[in-house]
Amino acid sequence: MAGNALGKVKGVFTEIKTHWKTPAEGKYVPYREYKDIFIAVGSNYAGSKLLEYIWFGAGCYLMMYHYHLPYLTFTIIGLINMPLNYVWAMIGWYINDNLGFLEKKKERIIYSVYFFAIVLGLTLILAPVSRLFDQNGAFVTFMNGLEGINCDSAFKILGTHILWNGWAGSRNIFWRKKLLPKFGRYKYSLYCDFLPKIVMVALIGWIPLWTITDVVERVWKANLLFAAFSIFGFGNSLEACAQNISPNTRERVLVRTYPIKLSHLAHSILAIILPVIIGWLPRKWEDIGLYKWVLPITFGTFAILTMVFSGRIKERIPQPPLEKKVQINFWDGMFGVMRNKYKWIQNIVYLLDSLGNGMLAFTTILYLYTFRLSGLLYSLIVALVSFAGTPPDFFTPFFMKRFSYKQITIFYQFSRALGNGLIVLSLLLFRRNVVLCGSICVVVLILMEMCKTVPTSVGHDMDIRINDYQMYLSGERLESFSGVFGWFTGPITSFVGLIIPLLLLNHGFNSNWDVLFIDDSRLYIIIIPLLIDTVGYLLMAIPYFFWDYDDDKQNKVMAVLRRREEVTAAAQAAEETEATVNE
Amino acid sequence: MSKKEHAEKKNRKNNLVDQSFYDGYKDAIPEDQIWDFQVEGLQKPWIRKPMPNARAKKIAVVFILVIAISISIFFSFWILHTDPFKYGEAEGGGTELIRFSNPGELLELALDYAVTDVLTEATVTTNEKGESERHTSYSLTKDETQPITALHEYAFNCDERIQRITVGKTVTSIDNKAFYSCYALREIRVDPENPNYCDVDGVLFNKDRTELICYPIDHDAYLREKYGYEGQYWPSDNWKNDEAVDKYNEYYTREYEDQVNTYVVPETVKVIGPLAFNYSELFRLYLPEGLERLETMAIFRNWHIERVDTYTGALGADGLPAPEHIKVSLPDSLTYIGSDCFNSAIEMDYMYIPANVTFIGHHAFWGAARNEGKGKLIGLYELHAALDEAAFKAQVDAGDQWTGEYDNGLFPKRVAVVYGEERPAAH
Repeated sequence: MAGNALGKVKGVFTEIKTHWKTPAEGKYVPYREYKDIFIAVGSNYAGSKLLEYIWFGAGCYLMMYHYHLPYLTFTIIGLINMPLNYVWAMIGWYINDNLGFLEKKKERIIYSVYFFAIVLGLTLILAPVSRLFDQNGAFVTFMNGLEGINCDSAFKILGTHILWNGWAGSRNIFWRKKLLPKFGRYKYSLYCDFLPKIVMVALIGWIPLWTITDVVERVWKANLLFAAFSIFGFGNSLEACAQNISPNTRERVLVRTYPIKLSHLAHSILAIILPVIIGWLPRKWEDIGLYKWVLPITFGTFAILTMVFSGRIKERIPQPPLEKKVQINFWDGMFGVMRNKYKWIQNIVYLLDSLGNGMLAFTTILYLYTFRLSGLLYSLIVALVSFAGTPPDFFTPFFMKRFSYKQITIFYQFSRALGNGLIVLSLLLFRRNVVLCGSICVVVLILMEMCKTVPTSVGHDMDIRINDYQMYLSGERLESFSGVFGWFTGPITSFVGLIIPLLLLNHGFNSNWDVLFIDDSRLYIIIIPLLIDTVGYLLMAIPYFFWDYDDDKQNKVMAVLRRREEVTAAAQAAEETEATVNE
Repeated sequence: MSKKEHAEKKNRKNNLVDQSFYDGYKDAIPEDQIWDFQVEGLQKPWIRKPMPNARAKKIAVVFILVIAISISIFFSFWILHTDPFKYGEAEGGGTELIRFSNPGELLELALDYAVTDVLTEATVTTNEKGESERHTSYSLTKDETQPITALHEYAFNCDERIQRITVGKTVTSIDNKAFYSCYALREIRVDPENPNYCDVDGVLFNKDRTELICYPIDHDAYLREKYGYEGQYWPSDNWKNDEAVDKYNEYYTREYEDQVNTYVVPETVKVIGPLAFNYSELFRLYLPEGLERLETMAIFRNWHIERVDTYTGALGADGLPAPEHIKVSLPDSLTYIGSDCFNSAIEMDYMYIPANVTFIGHHAFWGAARNEGKGKLIGLYELHAALDEAAFKAQVDAGDQWTGEYDNGLFPKRVAVVYGEERPAAH
């Protein structure tokens, strides 16, 4: 028995050694790349998770404990920016789905639009534009009556949005053209963004805008600072790259299940250590040292590790050579994604999911306001809950074989609804007993987490398959153009997303999170969104009953894509040979 | 076949499933139909071809989007733009102020009759530096047939501008959370004819002054103004180390502290209401012997409070109790300490729980002790109880984690309670 096991270990070792630099037959990824994925994706993932501590939203600790911005202000800013978002999105998709390679004339026009936006944005920020309006008129009076905003600051917020998009848009074309041919569509952004991102992470903690006593001024200046912060990305793009690492779907699953999954260990360890460090700060979660020292140093370390090990990770999507790439014009892109029925199903689900928009993170309330956790104890409970999802994930291939995507997803939605229901019951029945109530909630969270990871992995896999299907339908993956569904769902979700914030406001939740220390208010603030969210989960199960994309269809789609690659590559080679002969 | 060969074969088989499927299927895809080939059960690809009815579709998309976005933005702003005053019907009749949303820079407000209209008059002037400044004045139209009788919970939630509120004679019910987080609120005045409430120098009480309801968060600003201290400093959380210290040092005298950062609760008071002193900038608080209840979060987040002591007898000419009439810590008459009552009272160094206390809420002393490192503990890292341990446990209904805790290596350490203590004569 032991000898058998030893033999297997030796076999694995030999396999790794043999194919350290060159992949096995039928495979595309050598094991050395597995090692790189483990370190680089792990660092990229941990770094991107750290950035979840910094965002312009009510749930950010910087907002909770330092800026104290009114809860509805974030929604109002979203609404101010909403109409122009459609314009930016249109231009952005066109650029992104053509990988930044545009016709010269179109490129000049787009650059002009972006530079005009930069100038206009700066003008709106610097000039007192609101003074052009009648100060006693209906428009100015209306704007002054909004939470945390007045007419003057509304123009500055709009200016920030326009400036940001002009700047980000022109950067996008410039860096894509420069870096994409060398680093591929997923990795390139890390190379231009990681250094400025490190600087911005530090500046967020060191520019003390929260000391501004006037809330209106605090709002627009914070919005400007966070806009500058979010220009530079450090998304989990290496993982996206690694998920497209092989045209062999089995190898994709293998890479996703082992090196990628194991790489998340870095984040798991960090998730334990970081709260311990925060627990040592004099004011714990409320201590500004978190943003001045802890996050910049930790993020900087992971960002550097990411860049050191990302070099050898390659994307291997079967696609025609760049010269033969299908050019997508705007309307083709838009109609292309709208022909994809699976994207419609997914987006109807997202629409229903918006019922839960605006709710506060239940775990934040549970850990910080019910349990009052910090330090190692916080780490252990958070780690326990998040680790609960890891063991089931190793069985993802089994579940994928045994059950369909439809079955898994419907089960997931029902499990969320049931979990939320149990939490609500425990809050209502044991509200006076903080420890008992909190313990029940943690147990339910663990069970919910266990039910979550397999559907999440299967969902990621299906997202990639649906992009493969999109490539079959339109000749490109049109990942950015998929945002067109957001155009239709956006107006509805932004309106529906007001339900919870307004209900919370009626129960005292505004800019001061300490209201969550008030038992009765906390109960309402937790329960109302959870109940609405539960209804959302039940409704979200319905569209999945119409899902019929299976393994057989995926295999055929991939075969079509490979056939296209084969034929176009042969044509390209023939053209080149002909050109050489003619010369 | 050896084990190794078998394993290699199995491995290759798995890897080559895709390849074999492709090899079998690719012949079904003719070379000239690679962009049109339709997989059974899926939609047909549409590549490099104009979309049929493209113009009509484009118009439809644009039309739907423009309508959807316009409707969404209109209704969203319509919902978000709350009227400055939202009223409802009070229990038992009358008008209740549900929510006040500051129309901009309204600093003073009289709560007597329902406001039906707010007229704003803004003027823009240029200051000495050549910068333009906007000044707004408000004129409120009130309906005298609609007297305000109640203030709803969170009626003034998180308003950072309102400084003075006058409660009219018809207001008979004020929720304890009505003025929650009004950081700029300096004084609450009550019409002398009000049957249920009164104020003592800007602090809100019930009529017979047995309950202190609200000590405005920025009451110290009012006191500075009252005692002629010009300017203002803002003691941030680390104020002892920042620029404010210069301003503070300029003002600092014991007299300043007695006048601005000290409060003596009137001797008639039996109850300190929920949230009564939340976020105050007090350094010293004197409670009367005879006080029975410190309600939930009564002294919540008083970061700078150093002493909460008890006094008996008459006050001196300066409004403070004479030293010989001061007892260290809480009054013997106290029976109830609400949850989070002393949350974050980190500057305090002594707490005595008298023998009559029968209830202590959860987290009552949370965040009031800290380990500064190298074994240096500050705050309420030790609590002292009059009763012995057995009697205490038999008598006191204590909530979860009532004692608080402090860092002690990797895990926090619960604050210790010393039972059966005598009250010390002095700090």
